[in-house]
Amino acid sequence: MRNRPPGTRRSLSAWIFACLLLAAAVASAQEYQQALPGYQFQFPRDDFNHENYQTEWWYYTGNLRAPDGHRFGFELTFFRQGVSRAPGSDPWYVHDVWMAHLALSDIGAGRFHHQERLNRAGPGLAGVDAATGTIWNGNWQATITPRQEDLRGIGRNFAFSLKLLPAKPPVIQGQNGVSQKAAGLGHASHYYSRTRLLTSGSIEVAGRSYQVEGTSWMDHEFFTGSMAPNESGWDWLSVQFDDGAELMLYRMRRKDGSIDPYSSGSYVDAQGRSRFLSARDFVMTPAGDTWTSPATKAAYPLRWHVSVPLLHLAFEVTTPLRAQEMTGRFGPSYWEGAIDIAGTHDGSPTHGVGYLEMTGYAEPGRAVVPR
Amino acid sequence: MSGLVLFYRLILRPLFRQPGRALLILFAIALGDAAVVAIALAGNAAAGSFHSSIETLAGKNDFEVTAAGGVPQDLVARLSKLPYPLQVSPRIEDRAMVADTRQSVPLIGIDMIGAANTANLPVLGASEVSDAIRHINDPDAIWVTRGLAQAIGDRLPLLIEDHTRTYTVRGILPDSTQVSGDAVVMDIGAAQIATGKQGRVDRILIRTPAEGGFAAWESRLREVLPAGVMLNAQGAETAANRRMLAAFRWNLRILSYIALIVGAFLIYSALSVSVVRRRPEIGTIRALGTSRNAVLLAFLAEAAAFGMLGSLLALPLGRALATGAVRMLSTTVNALYVSSRPGPLSLTAGSVVLALVVGVAVSCLSALAPAREASLVPPTEAMARGRRDYEVRVERKRDALAALGLALCGAVAAQAPEIGGKPILGYLSALLFVASAALLTPLVVHFAMEAGSGSLRRLAGMEGLLASRSLGGSLRRTSVLVAALATAVAMMTSVGIMVGSFRETVLTWMQTELPADLYLRPASWAGGDQHPTISPQIADRIARVPGVAAVRRMRAYDIQYQGLPATLAAVQANPPTVPENLRFLSTAQDADPMRQLPSGNFAVVSEPFANKHHVKTGMSLALPLGVQKVTFRVLGVFYDYGDEAGLILVDWNILQRYLPNPAPSNLAVYLAPGANLAETRVAIQKAIGNNNVLAFSNREIRRQGMRVFDQTFAITWALEAISILVAVGGIAGSLVSIIIDRRREFGVLRFLGATGAQIRRLILFEAGLIGLLASAVGLGLGVVLSLVLVFVINKQSFGWTIQFHWPVAVLAWSMGIVYVATILAGLYPARLAVRMNPIEVIHEE
Amino acid sequence: MSSAQTDPDAAPPLLVFRDVVKEYRNEGERVRALDGVSLDVPAGRFLAVVGRSGCGKSTLLHLAGALDFPSSGAVLLENESTHKLSETGLTKLRREKVGFVFQSFQLLHTLTVVENVEVPLLLAGEINARPRAMERLTLVGLADLAQRRPHQLSGGQMQRVAIARALVHGPRLLLADEPTGNLDTATGNSILALLRAICSERGVTILMATHSAEAAAIADAIVRMRDGRILEGTQ
Repeated sequence: MRNRPPGTRRSLSAWIFACLLLAAAVASAQEYQQALPGYQFQFPRDDFNHENYQTEWWYYTGNLRAPDGHRFGFELTFFRQGVSRAPGSDPWYVHDVWMAHLALSDIGAGRFHHQERLNRAGPGLAGVDAATGTIWNGNWQATITPRQEDLRGIGRNFAFSLKLLPAKPPVIQGQNGVSQKAAGLGHASHYYSRTRLLTSGSIEVAGRSYQVEGTSWMDHEFFTGSMAPNESGWDWLSVQFDDGAELMLYRMRRKDGSIDPYSSGSYVDAQGRSRFLSARDFVMTPAGDTWTSPATKAAYPLRWHVSVPLLHLAFEVTTPLRAQEMTGRFGPSYWEGAIDIAGTHDGSPTHGVGYLEMTGYAEPGRAVVPR
Repeated sequence: MSGLVLFYRLILRPLFRQPGRALLILFAIALGDAAVVAIALAGNAAAGSFHSSIETLAGKNDFEVTAAGGVPQDLVARLSKLPYPLQVSPRIEDRAMVADTRQSVPLIGIDMIGAANTANLPVLGASEVSDAIRHINDPDAIWVTRGLAQAIGDRLPLLIEDHTRTYTVRGILPDSTQVSGDAVVMDIGAAQIATGKQGRVDRILIRTPAEGGFAAWESRLREVLPAGVMLNAQGAETAANRRMLAAFRWNLRILSYIALIVGAFLIYSALSVSVVRRRPEIGTIRALGTSRNAVLLAFLAEAAAFGMLGSLLALPLGRALATGAVRMLSTTVNALYVSSRPGPLSLTAGSVVLALVVGVAVSCLSALAPAREASLVPPTEAMARGRRDYEVRVERKRDALAALGLALCGAVAAQAPEIGGKPILGYLSALLFVASAALLTPLVVHFAMEAGSGSLRRLAGMEGLLASRSLGGSLRRTSVLVAALATAVAMMTSVGIMVGSFRETVLTWMQTELPADLYLRPASWAGGDQHPTISPQIADRIARVPGVAAVRRMRAYDIQYQGLPATLAAVQANPPTVPENLRFLSTAQDADPMRQLPSGNFAVVSEPFANKHHVKTGMSLALPLGVQKVTFRVLGVFYDYGDEAGLILVDWNILQRYLPNPAPSNLAVYLAPGANLAETRVAIQKAIGNNNVLAFSNREIRRQGMRVFDQTFAITWALEAISILVAVGGIAGSLVSIIIDRRREFGVLRFLGATGAQIRRLILFEAGLIGLLASAVGLGLGVVLSLVLVFVINKQSFGWTIQFHWPVAVLAWSMGIVYVATILAGLYPARLAVRMNPIEVIHEE
Repeated sequence: MSSAQTDPDAAPPLLVFRDVVKEYRNEGERVRALDGVSLDVPAGRFLAVVGRSGCGKSTLLHLAGALDFPSSGAVLLENESTHKLSETGLTKLRREKVGFVFQSFQLLHTLTVVENVEVPLLLAGEINARPRAMERLTLVGLADLAQRRPHQLSGGQMQRVAIARALVHGPRLLLADEPTGNLDTATGNSILALLRAICSERGVTILMATHSAEAAAIADAIVRMRDGRILEGTQ
């Protein structure tokens, strides 16, 4: 059982796009390349588009704070789903469908704002441009340069503009260049993370403008394929400890209630050294405090107990804002929000912030993209 | 209580005794009012609907971006990347023709994926989006309204531009699509391919957040748009079309009021007669102590009641008339203005109010003078036995002076410029001339009868003498009848002269305008504002056909100039052997503008365009072309009767620089000397191949043009017919009441040895005299009005120079019809008079 | 059986009523206007018919003027029974033999005085009516007013015009229905004198209906009527 599932949170999109793939077969997976072991990451090349893989995303989350203590969480995600590889220069021809999610958790005001967006590349409506380092969907965009990443998100009633400075080099998730998702060659993804991005910028919401600072997390993953049929959802979290270390864990839930052995994670110490954690290495259990979404009636556990005996690490996960459910028109609804961490590490108290994602609790909504 | 008694004695009792009079008044009100209602309804249905077909699936947006020749599509991206929370929706807007039924429907291309983001587009839910994505790259996938397909998967052959292709229905649009009528929706990519508009979109709709204000958003958006691109509030194009249609509808509405004016004359006449007849009753009532105002009010109340009742009758009648009118109207709207399909006819609260207000107002106004006269009846009148006959109180001098004054005012008003694009003063002038003629009518009748009674007596003996004398004798009444009919005749004559002159002018113009041997256009053309294109290679293929000397390409675009629609056309220079076909009103000194056109940014404009925008030779036009605003110098103004919106002509190659699109919308083919037309035509058809391009010979296109012309004016004729019908019907009614009134006279004549046949002849003769006099006055007035119509009203509202022309045959025909109609109108009254018992009528008192 | 026989030597009767009954239907009710009237009117005589209004005077005149047929019995004008005549025949009879004078003159207001007088001639299709009309106007003493309109005349003048009109075609019989009814006494008397003169000088037979005994006095004979019957003969 050395194989691991692909970056679990990213399976969210996989799930969404699975629907697309299962559908009228706009494109068959055979046209695309699979994620195979031995992949050599190269930067900045791998920061940008990999159109030979059917599914790809760039995923930013972060915890921010204004000088007056007003606290925010944010999410900005760009998804790409390949639809056709047929050659064609007509810009309206749909090779890929581009989806994006934008969310702002206004923790200080107790409000959660979110929005989704769907586009084709068209004459420049969405896409990735390596030359300028831009990944965009309409007026939501990320600009990646070796030393800095800039994010801009403009929602109907909120907006933010952030500057992200990587404090550590990218962490390649999984082993041998692939993050294996199931047994068998090619059932995997190429996946790396920037686990600590020092963030500053401005947020506009509710008629006010805030200067904010904090830390962000970025994932970039590309692959061809879908998740296992016996899985029902997952719980994923990322933590940025005050002591400079980061942790990523997820557990895959099966339809029979058991936890999939492909669940895994990674730990990055303050110096940037990462360590792979397998399902045997950690325990992650809900600890009551269920929140029921008024929109989807899904019940999400908002308190978790996590322990990683190998690292002498144990902590409680709580959230400063209960309603952080992303309800989507084009995909399933899920809870993704800012969290607080309090526990012990090597016997000393430890604190941190992070992001928690819980999927598969709500009835699958109508999928965007064909069933 | 006493009011009730008054109303009963004065109004109700006479009404029950003479139901014919009531019916006459009701008829006049109902028919006149019905014409107004019909035109209002039909106008709404025919011209009101085009709005929705353009706006199919448009949702509610704040701004729209358009450009002549289309908006470059990178602007879509530029706009959607702006750092504002905007909704940006690019669209292709064109037309498709259902190949089987030849029904022309709007073809709308929308970004099926991006449309998912537009929250204000309820029609595209997640399932529609997912359906759309499933077929997103299928260029043959269409979504249609229920009227066009039974089921998903149906195959629908559509003629778009010059090619027919079979499309597959991938979805049925729900009825809530804000479309009135049918529409075809495609993904924007497929729509671009189908319409050959790659690289450009027709319109970008933008929705801004509610906060910020229109002006602020406008300036923010304007900043990123190139100069030639137009930014307007959504529906600006629709609004511009509406403005253009407004003038047309306004003119039509005026025309419909003519029937009402004629009706007013008749109401006036009928009420006058009835007031005179009731003088003894009025006298009695006044002697009993009723005040003048009470009498006045009683008569006005009667008129109002008639107006109310007549209007209620007018509603169903108007709706029935509208059904016919709407068909004619929409033909006109399609041919001249924008592609539209008549919407449903609906009697709204507005139309009910219109009918009531118009009907009641007109009958009260017409009743005012007779009612006033009634109130002035002295109480002693009741005592005077022997009813006083009609006073012959024509104050000739005063009336002549007043008529002269009115005519002068009319002449002055005719010189004034238009107001807000509408020839308001032109119509005022026409109205003044009508009033002047109405004042002159008694004089004309008087002098004609005075002068003519001798010869009439010689010509027609007793009947002639009596008819002429009774016409001249009861001037007040007969002159109203003559004036009513004369007005109707004048309208008919003037419109007849105007349309006839126009027709002749257009015929002559087409002879010079169409020098080529064959004209080609795509089969999908279905309206004046459409410019479907021919595949560029077809023109090249035709040029190589043996027997073809030259092919001249033309490309037309609908553009907006100063907020009004106009047609911009690029033409290739004429082959040197062909004489220039355009006739110019004005040119720069150095003669030949068409030869100069290819040498730079030069344009020639049509007369309607020059008039609408006050453009003169030598001036510069800043034309929005694609993303640029380009200045062209006007080399001349030419006569054109084909395009009401106005035409700007530039050279083909010059326009290609700004709007590079090689597809022509029309081709003119010149045959080599000696080439056989029929054979060459067959060869050209072969060169066209499977594309749906129609070829018309010079003669065919001329005939087609005249057919469109005649269709356009069908509604005008229909309205004229209603006016004449109102007048003739009114004359029949008035004659009945005159006969009832003069029954003692007929009785006396019988005593004195008159036969029934003589009595009948006398009445028919009188009717004929009314017809003759009305025709004479009407013809005179009609000629004056036709001058106003041709040189003022037409010029101001449409901007065409029409060569005055006498449509003798039409005039003779219509005069003959009016004359015969009035004589026919005398038949029933004559019968009535013959059947009266002379003993009874003599001894009635 | 009442009759108005005059001496047998006189001229044969111009107009004969023989057992004349005339019934009308008035609003569903049967009204008997004449109830067995027999009367001979000799040519050249002036006969007055006297009675209250509604007694049948006017009906008598209408039957005499061939405007109507009797319900039973016969009316003979110059030995010709009106009963046998068609509508056209009746009109012809009126045109040639009968003239009417009415209480309210019944002039046509749109025509001039002389044109009014011409009407019967014109109706009969005569072209050259003017000289005869003028002659009759001269007879009634109104030649000066020939070009006036009726409304410019006095009542007496109007009745003179009416008389001229009634005589223009040279009728044998003049029927006058209350010719003085709308006139004051003096004017009335002058009209009666005119009628008397016309009868005496031109030999026109006159049948005049009147309710005034004074007017009747000028006649050669008086026929009294009541309820559709003749009461007594001449004096």
